[in-house]
Amino acid sequence: MKRNSRRGSLGKYKAIGGWIFVAPALFYFALFSFYPLINAFYTSTLQKDILSLQPSKFIGLENYVYLFRSEDFWKSIEATAVFTLGCFIPLATVSLLLAVFIYSRSKRFQNFLQMAYFLPAILSTAAAAVVWLLVFDPRGLANQWVNFIANTPGIDHKWLALSHMVRFSTIIIYFWKYIGYFTIIYFAGLSNIPRTYYEAAKVDGAGSWTQFWSITLPLVKPTIVLVSIIAMIQCMRTFSTQYLFTQSGAATEPINVITLNIYRTAMRDRYIGRASAMSIILFFAILIFSWFQLKVSRTEKISYI
Amino acid sequence: MNKVRMVQPTRKIGKRKQAYHRVGWRFSYLDNFLVWGILVVTMGLVLTPLAFMVVSSVMPYREVMRIPFRWIPTSFHWQNYWQAIRGNDGSFIYLRNILNSFFVASMVTLTTVFISAMTGYGLAKLPFRGRNLVFIMIMATMMVPFEAIMIPLYLIVTKFGWQDSYTGLIIPLMVNAFGIFLMRQFLITFPDAVIDSARIEGASEFRIFWDIVLPNAIPAVVALGILTFRQQWDSLIWPLLITQSEEMKTIPLYIVRFNSEKYTNEGALMAVAVIASLPIIILFFSMARYFTGGLTISGMKH
Amino acid sequence: MKRICVFFVLVLIISGVFMFAGEKKGEAQKITLLYWTFEDPTLTTIEERFVQEFQNKYPDVTIKRSTYPSGENIEQKVLIAFAVGKGPDIINLEMRASFPYVVYGRVAPIDPEAVGYKSQEEIYNDYLEGTLNVVTHEGKLYGLPEQLGSYNLLLNKKYFREAGLNPEKDYPKTWEEMLEVAEKITIREGEIIMRRAFDFRYPQYLTSWLPMVQQLGGSFLSKDASRCVINSEAGLRVMQYMAEWGPNGRNFGSPTYANARKNFNKDDGSIAMCLTGLYQTARLKVENPAFYESGEWMFVPYPRFADAVSDNGCNYYSHFFMVNAEKPDYNQKSAWRFIGYMTKHPEEYMVESALIQPRKSLMKSDVFNKYPYADLFIQEIAKSYPVIHHMNALKFEELMKEAIQSVMLTGVDPKEALQRLEQKANEVMLGG
Repeated sequence: MKRNSRRGSLGKYKAIGGWIFVAPALFYFALFSFYPLINAFYTSTLQKDILSLQPSKFIGLENYVYLFRSEDFWKSIEATAVFTLGCFIPLATVSLLLAVFIYSRSKRFQNFLQMAYFLPAILSTAAAAVVWLLVFDPRGLANQWVNFIANTPGIDHKWLALSHMVRFSTIIIYFWKYIGYFTIIYFAGLSNIPRTYYEAAKVDGAGSWTQFWSITLPLVKPTIVLVSIIAMIQCMRTFSTQYLFTQSGAATEPINVITLNIYRTAMRDRYIGRASAMSIILFFAILIFSWFQLKVSRTEKISYI
Repeated sequence: MNKVRMVQPTRKIGKRKQAYHRVGWRFSYLDNFLVWGILVVTMGLVLTPLAFMVVSSVMPYREVMRIPFRWIPTSFHWQNYWQAIRGNDGSFIYLRNILNSFFVASMVTLTTVFISAMTGYGLAKLPFRGRNLVFIMIMATMMVPFEAIMIPLYLIVTKFGWQDSYTGLIIPLMVNAFGIFLMRQFLITFPDAVIDSARIEGASEFRIFWDIVLPNAIPAVVALGILTFRQQWDSLIWPLLITQSEEMKTIPLYIVRFNSEKYTNEGALMAVAVIASLPIIILFFSMARYFTGGLTISGMKH
Repeated sequence: MKRICVFFVLVLIISGVFMFAGEKKGEAQKITLLYWTFEDPTLTTIEERFVQEFQNKYPDVTIKRSTYPSGENIEQKVLIAFAVGKGPDIINLEMRASFPYVVYGRVAPIDPEAVGYKSQEEIYNDYLEGTLNVVTHEGKLYGLPEQLGSYNLLLNKKYFREAGLNPEKDYPKTWEEMLEVAEKITIREGEIIMRRAFDFRYPQYLTSWLPMVQQLGGSFLSKDASRCVINSEAGLRVMQYMAEWGPNGRNFGSPTYANARKNFNKDDGSIAMCLTGLYQTARLKVENPAFYESGEWMFVPYPRFADAVSDNGCNYYSHFFMVNAEKPDYNQKSAWRFIGYMTKHPEEYMVESALIQPRKSLMKSDVFNKYPYADLFIQEIAKSYPVIHHMNALKFEELMKEAIQSVMLTGVDPKEALQRLEQKANEVMLGG
């Protein structure tokens, strides 16, 4: 039905429509995202103390040079990398698994199950922090349960003290919080696949495993790409978990992720120039990794019609 | 095409098996057991901190921090809820904060969902020169850490005079790239044939969007709505910067305030958290039926 | 549906505009002062009343008082507001955080007349010796105290007795004794401490840890404040003490347990002593009246080292009312008037909020002398140093935290940690 002869005017019609649909968001972002971003770019080339009324000194790329030579900065990179890898891979994969399992249950349970996994997310960050800090307290539930299961009474696993443990603890909390989110997204993606496809395949004699591989997986691929990228970006931008941890006595250095470093440099040390430079570096890092992910998994439109 | 109609179960099998037929997957008994096992165990782990929250909310604070924690409370300390609503200063400002959170989150959700769907549709289905560039630019905004743009954003908002108002709380958060990305990915798989045939019949782009695409993208729309609402519900830093009077503050600010240095009643704090979580739970349950609606692309068969 | 949304958004924008059109009244007639301070219900009760009374006295001035969660939250809020040039008229922050505002000239020197004195000299005479030094810069005074505070040892008598000790006599007077007492009182299950004898006030190292070093004759900064000198004999001894105290030593406590002071009021057996301020007793009265009435608690002075060369207690921190220097002259004058009005009521601050304002008149009053342990606190403060104020004070505290935590939690060698601390602090002072 789609004939090329129509493309001329139809194409232009679509193009104008495209711009109209996209315009509001673009206008909004120009004001509330691009302008602040450009401002951050500019600030990163200055040596500036937030409170100082003196005119700021232009120092070009010096902030960046300082950062790349700074041990503290590289430690933050390491903390962020460990957290991101340790978190987004389990998040993206386990949630798919859960979504598939939930999808295979009857309708009654589907809502209930999704809700159950999403519930941690509804617990506000501040309240969740209080609860988890009690859990990870040496006298708290975490030690109690692990000691019970491993039959090691009285051992303190130092959830908030040892470097690798405190990183693990932050990953646990983040995973717990967001597993529901991604399960819901995957589930919506699975729901997107018309049942007629499955029915048609069944008629052709395909078993459930084949159906999964040939129908579900390819059609849910855009969702998989979506979820991995979002999960990765969110993990790289993690802030409140680490912030609340460090505020209440946990070891700081192992979880001093980049965003926390940016925040501290700006708010506590007042070096807004250096903080902006770190933000720009983070921004580019995220950009590069996302582009890479998109490239690796080219999304094709799959249509069985 | 007509073959499709024949795939109804011809026998009245038990309800369970019928469900599998509908979905198209069938699991053996063992698989079934395993799946349920995994689902239940993970669910248990996931819900434990929440159970802790609910149980603690009716305990006097001394028992909340008790080691070992007693899961069954000896008595029901409902005063915690009264204190939660009343506040440490007796002002009942929590009720106003809840209203604020509700209003702000709703407005942000409505606008986000609408604009995300619109923009996502444009990016997915309406090819125009520079579309990929626009997509990348929008994605880029998602990668900017909030801490970096916090100050310039505050500057813009105060220049407009929007501090301490609903406008200031809502407008800067009204659109977000995550939503656009989500909608685009879903809408990409929407069959072109349907859209093109509607175009040929003379429908305007907006009508196609509104009447055909959107109703069939309900799971995505609802998912985005719930996620956005929840994110706004929990937002702390921006309301902190923008609000000045108590009447404008939102729930997370109340929680921080309740949990300050001088007032440490964990039981009442958990009660505050339970009250704060109720609207989201209600929202989810009421929206849940839209999730499993699925796509009904009956139009395609013609 | 879309139309409803559009309508809503328009309504919002319009109402937003109106809300602020309302505030921009003519300059000559009325002014509005913005006053930002901490969240504290008792403080709010008193100060809202002051606001009303002041507004009645000066009808052309309206004061809008806003409160924020103390600590990082309010500090961040004030910082950002000033950064974009929209700071409030009056602020109340802890000196550690507000010192940069003084140095950069963002806050104004005091206007003695507006505050109710004839000269700056008179103000100094009205307050306890030395308590205004931290807020004096290049000969000018930049604020008046909202509170002065410090920490001493609050102990639960019951747990002493349970360990066979007499709380009135056997409480630890020295840090060495502290270790002995801890040995007797601590109860553990394996590695996990179920009852701590005592624990430090972990995040606040400038206030409660540094004085230990100062007792042994050390200090963080050199006399001219040009470099860090923490890597000294004194510093090393205290660092070693922390190593011994923590989980890798004799395991008496650690930063990873719930705060000692938060658990104290519960009287649940988990903590016998904590370092805290006078305000805690006011809280105790409300939170756990049975425990408060039983009198099974007491304050004793901050411990010293047995061979201390300086008899200082815990460092004292201060909060000051300050005025934004970028506001119009009349705003500033009115702001100082209001501050003067508030600080005329030190008894109320004491009784309602347990906050000490170091005015000589308060020290002589009945209210003060009858308040339990108020004299102990003032005596200790008289002997102690103020929390250091420096442009990088907050960063120094962060570095201290890293050093101490690495020694206590991950078993880093104290000498090494101390060296790193000194090195990093010096880098910071050079603009690093």
